[in-house]
Amino acid sequence: MSSAETAAGPARAAAGTAGPLESPLKPRLMRIVEAWDETPDVRSLRLQPVDDGPPVRWLPGQFGEFSVFGAGEAVFTMANSPSRGEFVECGFRALGKVTWALRDLAVGQVIGYRGPYGNSFPVDSWRGKDLVFIGGGIGTVALRAPLQWVLDHRGDFGEIVVLNGARSVADLCYQKEMPAWAEVPGVHVVRTVDPGGETPGWDGEVGLLPAVFERLGLAPGGRIVVTCGPPVMLHYLFQSLEKLKFPPEDVVTTLENKMKCGLGLCGRCNVGRLFVCVDGPVFTWARMQTLPRDY
Amino acid sequence: MTEPTLQARTETAAPTWKPQIAAIVCNWCTYAGADMAGTTRREYPASVRLLRVPCSGRVNPLFILKAFEQGADGVLVSGCHPGDCHYVQGNYFARRRFAAFRSLLNFLGLDPRRVHFSWISASEGIKWARVVGDVTRAVTEAGPLTDWGRASSPAQVTLPEPPAPRPQPAAAELEAVTGHVRELAASLLREGKVSFVLGWAPGPSPGQTIPAFIQRPEDAATLVFDTHSHADLAAFLAGPRKVSGKVAVLVKACDARAATTLLAEGQLVREDVVLVGVSCPGMWRDDRLAYRCHSCDGEVGALCDFTVSAAGVQPGALPTGAKRATGPDPRDLQNAHLESLPAAQRWAFWQEQFADCVRCYACRAVCPMCYCGSCISEQHRPQWVPTSIDGRGNTAWNLVRAYHLSGRCVGCDECERVCPANIRLDLINRRLALELEQRFDYHAGTDPEGAPPLATFRPDDPQEFIY
Amino acid sequence: MGTPSAGQIHRLGRDQLASWVDALLGERKRVFAPVLRRGLRVLRAVERAQDVDFAPGRTRWSPKEFLFPRTETLFSYENRDGVPVLADPPADDVPRILFGVQPCDAAGLVRLDSILLQDPFYARRRELTTVVAIACSEAAPECFCTAVGGSPAGQEGVDVLLAPLETGWVVRALSPKGEALLAPRRGGWETAAAGDWEAALEQAGRVAGSIGRRELPAAWAEKLEQSFADPIWDELARRCVGCSICAYVCPSCSCFDVADEGSDACGSRCRTWDSCSFRLFTQHGSGHNPRATQPARSRQRVLHKFAFYPLQHGGRAMCVGCGRCIRSCPVGMDIHAEVVEVMSGRPEKEAGDVQR
Ligand SMILES: Cc1cc2nc3c(=O)[nH]c(=O)nc-3n(C[C@H](O)[C@H](O)[C@H](O)COP(=O)(O)OP(=O)(O)OC[C@H]3O[C@@H](n4cnc5c(N)ncnc54)[C@H](O)[C@@H]3O)c2cc1C
Ligand code: SF4
Ligand code: SF4
Ligand code: SF4
Ligand code: SF4
Ligand code: FES
Repeated sequence: MSSAETAAGPARAAAGTAGPLESPLKPRLMRIVEAWDETPDVRSLRLQPVDDGPPVRWLPGQFGEFSVFGAGEAVFTMANSPSRGEFVECGFRALGKVTWALRDLAVGQVIGYRGPYGNSFPVDSWRGKDLVFIGGGIGTVALRAPLQWVLDHRGDFGEIVVLNGARSVADLCYQKEMPAWAEVPGVHVVRTVDPGGETPGWDGEVGLLPAVFERLGLAPGGRIVVTCGPPVMLHYLFQSLEKLKFPPEDVVTTLENKMKCGLGLCGRCNVGRLFVCVDGPVFTWARMQTLPRDY
Repeated sequence: MTEPTLQARTETAAPTWKPQIAAIVCNWCTYAGADMAGTTRREYPASVRLLRVPCSGRVNPLFILKAFEQGADGVLVSGCHPGDCHYVQGNYFARRRFAAFRSLLNFLGLDPRRVHFSWISASEGIKWARVVGDVTRAVTEAGPLTDWGRASSPAQVTLPEPPAPRPQPAAAELEAVTGHVRELAASLLREGKVSFVLGWAPGPSPGQTIPAFIQRPEDAATLVFDTHSHADLAAFLAGPRKVSGKVAVLVKACDARAATTLLAEGQLVREDVVLVGVSCPGMWRDDRLAYRCHSCDGEVGALCDFTVSAAGVQPGALPTGAKRATGPDPRDLQNAHLESLPAAQRWAFWQEQFADCVRCYACRAVCPMCYCGSCISEQHRPQWVPTSIDGRGNTAWNLVRAYHLSGRCVGCDECERVCPANIRLDLINRRLALELEQRFDYHAGTDPEGAPPLATFRPDDPQEFIY
Repeated sequence: MGTPSAGQIHRLGRDQLASWVDALLGERKRVFAPVLRRGLRVLRAVERAQDVDFAPGRTRWSPKEFLFPRTETLFSYENRDGVPVLADPPADDVPRILFGVQPCDAAGLVRLDSILLQDPFYARRRELTTVVAIACSEAAPECFCTAVGGSPAGQEGVDVLLAPLETGWVVRALSPKGEALLAPRRGGWETAAAGDWEAALEQAGRVAGSIGRRELPAAWAEKLEQSFADPIWDELARRCVGCSICAYVCPSCSCFDVADEGSDACGSRCRTWDSCSFRLFTQHGSGHNPRATQPARSRQRVLHKFAFYPLQHGGRAMCVGCGRCIRSCPVGMDIHAEVVEVMSGRPEKEAGDVQR
């Protein structure tokens, strides 16, 4: 390329020969094998590697960097449980450069994926316990993998409540799947929309998520609360949890600081001594309380 | 490095080379005219790619930048004749913007054969064919554009350095001003007239002053005014840096012009701010009088609520008697030298400067006129300014910045002062300011009620550059 | 290594230093050294020793850009029949020498190492780089290397240390890399006189003594961390205008952005310097921003360097006291003074006067 490159010949010998390097930020190519809309602005993709290398591995709660060449990368949680086959699923809301570009792609097209990154939900430590999943809006996407995991290992866990909320009926994710969740014995699914977001014939709850949660009257009693949602929702939900005396150690959520590298290099997701991409994104509420309010 | 298209094209600049020309045309006149040329089988070179827009008023001059960045060798912009605009006024506004942007490109040394403008009506198929022929010839002569975002050879330019017209003012004079500034600041705070006084205080480096936000009367004693009170504090009056609450702000003549422009642009409520003009002996940069100060008479303008001079504090603006003699502006001198050089050398000169830009956006951050909550450089759908810190991205940023300040920049030269890469942003701003003064008789920062020149038009605006 | 005189200290005349640089260039090594250009003192790849400015003083930019470039291509992509084909950037294996950097800058590279060595591109360049530092013969008003464990003759990250004598230089290798660089020259160089090295150190000691800024003890990190919610940050950083000069001149700031340049047909994914001072650095796609105000962003820079990083990296600050950010900040933000000021407001105030 440049004249510096041409000079590299003789000098290379001096340094010992070494070939081109591969960046850890270089993605693996994945083909979109299925795509469907969850809501008017949330889309799900099912992906499979283009190459026939080893299958993609991850744990519930881990995330990946998904990229459209020419638009860039975006971080999404793997939306399905690794117990569900050899493909990766993600669900994303179209709100910016990458997500809109991704939305424009069709089945058969190829995108980039790298991962898995971050820690995961401590599903093993939940064995034998009752669980409550509380997802708000697009936040429910992050709960689908652990929920699927739990459903796939149904016998290992106690009673399961799924509280799935959104601004309006149209914005509620996974409407098609929820009936199947509810059919599993011991699983109770509650759907809710914000006041004003209901449509005629809506048979779910109406109310803000924290309020609806309070109405369910669930007592702590060793119950694990797994939640994800917009910052305001979490703020009020934590107030409710505090009121109901849920121990912070038993409340698990994910932080969604802006990320670029996923490897603890780019500095973007820094919160105090931690990097959310490496030390998170899964945090207990107790651990969050030890962090500076930088999320 | 990140420009595969350009590189590929450089290599293929063979004898068979044909220019790529982007023609940005309005739907109602020129597109129809081109269509007519097509249906009447009038021959015109096929080197032109048509980009249809609803109106020439929709043509953001940055489209031209984008076209070059993406590999065009030439650009033609064309719309309806004045008076014929489908949207009545679109082309009048466009004409002013084109004039500003074209003068910027010329000044930076882009070969003038690469950028063309025309008015072509729906019935002027013949004119279309002729214009396209002329433009293609001109761009072919100019050859492939291979140095967008880089200097093809060293510029080797030395700018003339004018002698200092006067020595630094006596320390006693500045100390007297400082004393009065402190008194006034303390009394404004004590009387609760303002919640902050924005002034200058000593900084961490010797001889440096920095912006100070004084909240308590007793802290007014930290304020200073000297020949290094550079910061244009009007930058803290609007946009993301805006200080909330009622503030008194110390302004030199140049800063007062910035406040005036903020008023003209509706960014400042006059009642929210107490403007304290400071009689300014000129600012010093290292050992020389700042360039802008050569041609400045030091007058703070009619807008101020108070004026502070060595003699004391007085309400209102400084009487004209205090006017200082002015001399030629060194920036004009240096620009004249640049403009006497061949365009290619000027292009190399600016590309060498832009190559050093690190995209710290300090130029934007200190500019009183850069008050947008979200700068175009922070938007990426579409991505006007490439993120990469390289020739292409830096050229885009510097063009965008300069163009967005044309007719608005008050020449405080803060951007140039803070630029860590020593890029002569002052020269670019100054050249554009003069262009707009000459064309539209607009002097930024003189009229709190005047419409900015690119937000208005006159039907008889000069259009000598349009076919 | 292995030459009989390994470890030896040499004394060089002025011309010898220049001919050394020319000899290195002759061996096809890339030499980055201070030059004067457009009124700036900057490090650039030089073609001849004559262009090098050996005078004391910092360069506008730190040497980090030669290991961690402003922008670099991670890979390129090209769409071939609907399938992207990715290609790694070509290898660049030319050995390079950072010649005449300040000791603080060498220490800055060690800070970068602690983060970026994980990245193979950085690691390869680091391996190919030998650092020849010049001990400082004067300190600027913004310098505070001594406050953060450094010194005008600091050895951290230095492969070869040059120190000015009244007539010429004393040269000493401080690492195997440095030994390897000096080995081919030793034959032609004079051995330093007894006391030359000590004289150079003494001079550096005098320079250290001229630095008026107080120590910033590692023990402050935890208390600084607790200052996160202290309203003092709003006051301290009110004037910060949110450019990124501080991060871009800093030898130890390492944050970057990743973005695609090009179209969907072809282009490259690039890594570009970024800064915590920018609003977009942390703003979510939804618009939520954990650091919504400029003071919050400014605080991140200080606390990352003096609290979060040291608490994770054995107490060392992520600042080497080069003073560049202070010198180049448009509004004179003074990171040293900020730390001191925040600490002076902490309840368990350290003993000793808190001066600037
Ligand atoms: C751990 C984690 C898990 C997540 N999981 C999900 C999920 O499952 N589903 C989901 O929908 N969302 C998820 N998110 C959020 C998601 O990552 C963002 O919504 C997404 O990245 C937005 O991408 P975008 O490109 O569309 O947005 P944009 O707002 O367009 O931002 C794109 C990127 O471009 C950058 N940018 C902005 N301006 C410029 C410029 N001028 N130049 C260059 N770059 C610029 C931004 O910094 C940003 O990084 C998750 C986030 C995290 C951290
Ligand atoms: S201040 Fe200078 S270096 Fe920084 S972005 Fe502006 S022109 Fe570029
Ligand atoms: S562009 Fe520069 S000179 Fe013009 S007003 Fe802004 S800071 Fe001042
Ligand atoms: S501290 Fe100074 S250099 Fe850093 S972002 Fe703020 S104004 Fe810019
Ligand atoms: S924070 Fe400032 S003083 Fe410290 S190393 Fe970086 S630039 Fe130098
Ligand atoms: S995403 Fe880069 S450090 Fe966490």
